[in-house]
Amino acid sequence: MTIKFIRDHGQHYRPRMACLAKVEAMVLEMQDSKSGVKSSEQKLNITSIPHVVTGQDILAWIANHMKVDAQEAQTIGTMLVAYGFIYPLQDHKKLILKPDVSLYRFQTPYFWPVQKWKADNTDYAIYLAKRNIRKKGTLDVYEQEYYKNLHKWLNHKWDFIVMQAKEQYRAGKERNKADRVVFDCQERAYWIVHRPPPRTHSAMDYGVDRLIDPNAEENKTFDYYRRIIIFTQQAIMRSKVKSTVSLGAILKHMTTYKDHDPFLAPCLPSNPWQTDDSSYWDLNMRNVEIPTKMRVERWSFSFFELLNDPRGRTDFKVFLKKEFSGENLAFWEAAEEMKWGTASSISEKAQTIFKTFLAPGAPRWINIDGRTMGLTVKGLEHPHRYVLDAAQTHIFMLMKKDTFYRYLKSPVYKDIQKKALSPAPHNFTPSQLEQNAQNRKPGINPIIIWQQEEEERAKAAAAAGPIDIKKLMASKLDRK
Amino acid sequence: MPVDWGADMGKDECKTMLDALNKVTACYRHLVSALGSTSDSQNLREELKKTRKKAQELAVANRTKLTALLKDKSISNDDRAEYERLWVLFTSSMEILEVDMKRSLEIGQSFPLKVPTRHFIQTGMTGSTTTVAARAMSVQNMKYEADASIDTADLKDLETEIAQVDQMMEEMEMKVQVAPWAVEAKQEAGAELKSTVSVGNSSVGVISVCEEEPKEGGEGEAGLMKVFAGIIFTAVLLIAGILGYLVINL
Repeated sequence: MTIKFIRDHGQHYRPRMACLAKVEAMVLEMQDSKSGVKSSEQKLNITSIPHVVTGQDILAWIANHMKVDAQEAQTIGTMLVAYGFIYPLQDHKKLILKPDVSLYRFQTPYFWPVQKWKADNTDYAIYLAKRNIRKKGTLDVYEQEYYKNLHKWLNHKWDFIVMQAKEQYRAGKERNKADRVVFDCQERAYWIVHRPPPRTHSAMDYGVDRLIDPNAEENKTFDYYRRIIIFTQQAIMRSKVKSTVSLGAILKHMTTYKDHDPFLAPCLPSNPWQTDDSSYWDLNMRNVEIPTKMRVERWSFSFFELLNDPRGRTDFKVFLKKEFSGENLAFWEAAEEMKWGTASSISEKAQTIFKTFLAPGAPRWINIDGRTMGLTVKGLEHPHRYVLDAAQTHIFMLMKKDTFYRYLKSPVYKDIQKKALSPAPHNFTPSQLEQNAQNRKPGINPIIIWQQEEEERAKAAAAAGPIDIKKLMASKLDRK
Repeated sequence: MPVDWGADMGKDECKTMLDALNKVTACYRHLVSALGSTSDSQNLREELKKTRKKAQELAVANRTKLTALLKDKSISNDDRAEYERLWVLFTSSMEILEVDMKRSLEIGQSFPLKVPTRHFIQTGMTGSTTTVAARAMSVQNMKYEADASIDTADLKDLETEIAQVDQMMEEMEMKVQVAPWAVEAKQEAGAELKSTVSVGNSSVGVISVCEEEPKEGGEGEAGLMKVFAGIIFTAVLLIAGILGYLVINL
């Protein structure tokens, strides 16, 4: 028994699906014998089943009724099929509307998608058991997987599922042959919509369940009006950006990132979510030796991108070492560590940072203007998490305006651009895709990655201690 | 030992009642799936009403029996495990019944029978559901005696019945302390295939039409096999007829 009276204040409501009611109204109008869609009969071996419609008839009716052109009618028709109000008789796994003589039939209202009723796992288990009986144990591969999983999860109900499946099968046999066939087709179509076969998606897919029932009207109490008033007052006080400015910014972002978006441009070598092949992730790991061309190109977009990418940051560090100006980046990283680190370590971190970077005559003294320096030093007497924020921003702007452009023109960057990989796109056949799906394995444990990074950081800290200028000059003098 | 015998009797009675409830639930689901389609009719609404009433009687009977059995503290652990399993069967049946009743209320409200502008969905089902309802009610033939306004009158009854079922489920959950996830199923995966000796015979001759899309030539072969089987069958019949005729004449 499912726990019916859920008092955990969790998210249990499906989101609003207002389109379903509208589509229902349209399907009802299609049923009119005078002005609806023309239906004919489907001839099978001995019987013939009425009420079958062709794809082109549906399209013509939609175009006529809604006064739209053919392409729009095609999209609307595909939506009808994808939601499961109409199901195809041939090629039943592909839920699209074909504008030719392929046959479709209307789905019974019990199997229509409704926002309130979720397609239950128990019902799916009963359906799979019935199908098992009918096909004598030869289910599809994905159905077999579902069956095994459901047997594990719903084990306590399994007796019930088997009993109910047998009873439903026997009850179904009481109807005449044509109706039996129609019912089988209907049920199959329903479950293809709600449990889609692999590498297809269901139109009923949605994100997260909602916390409150979206169909329930909210009581307009005093609290409700108070919230609305506060919201509108704050909205008036907000500073507004001119739309030319914001639209210009959006346009600029789109043109730069257009080729890097995995929805708009194909992901090289292949999108792991679609092909189950994780080479894209392997090539773009945090500490990979040779990055991909797309990644390197991304570093040139903005300094923020370069710093955020761990590989980019290491590359930038190499460049700065050559230029002997690593203290800016070191200070920035130390400030980040203080911001994100534990509260107990803030005071000692503040001390080390002061001694290394800010004190007059410090070994890695950073060059910030007098006012910021004064504010920061005063703040360090009573350090908190964001005490270095002003200095950090100043240093960031310094690096961005000066060092970043030199980096982009430097031989280090050009070198890595040449070395970067450009993987060839994969071209998998459907059988290879099945293979990939079966060979999925979990990736590296993130704890291991974190441990590796800690080791590297310790090594780097030991190797590159604060460069003592006096010692360096002394060693050079010695040589002379 | 009278106690064990009584317990066994209780178990068997429970099992038969649960089987009956299971059957009625399955038939009810078939009937509800025909609502709103072209096989909807006044008879269907009446069948739904009768099946529902029968289901409720069975549910109440089952519930009293099972609660009486479970309240008994003097039963052994094995017996208790068995009764818990039966309880899980019962509650799962009731859940399905409740959902189907709510759905039949919604669909019944949106597809009233007598309004001429409201068309039924042309699903391709044209037969009647009399046989399914007869199976549910365990009678040979169904008698129809309802009047024309059954669809609207029945909906009010349906609402009250849904409220009753809700209340019953709530009481059951509160009063009976059974952990449903602790029940272990007796059937293993694929159990439904084992006892399909009787149901298997029916598939000979049933049009396996849902496989009507061309499947890599396998479908063509299966069709050929069916034609062969038909030819051989008729040949055997002919031979049997001829032999019989000869026997009679000789």
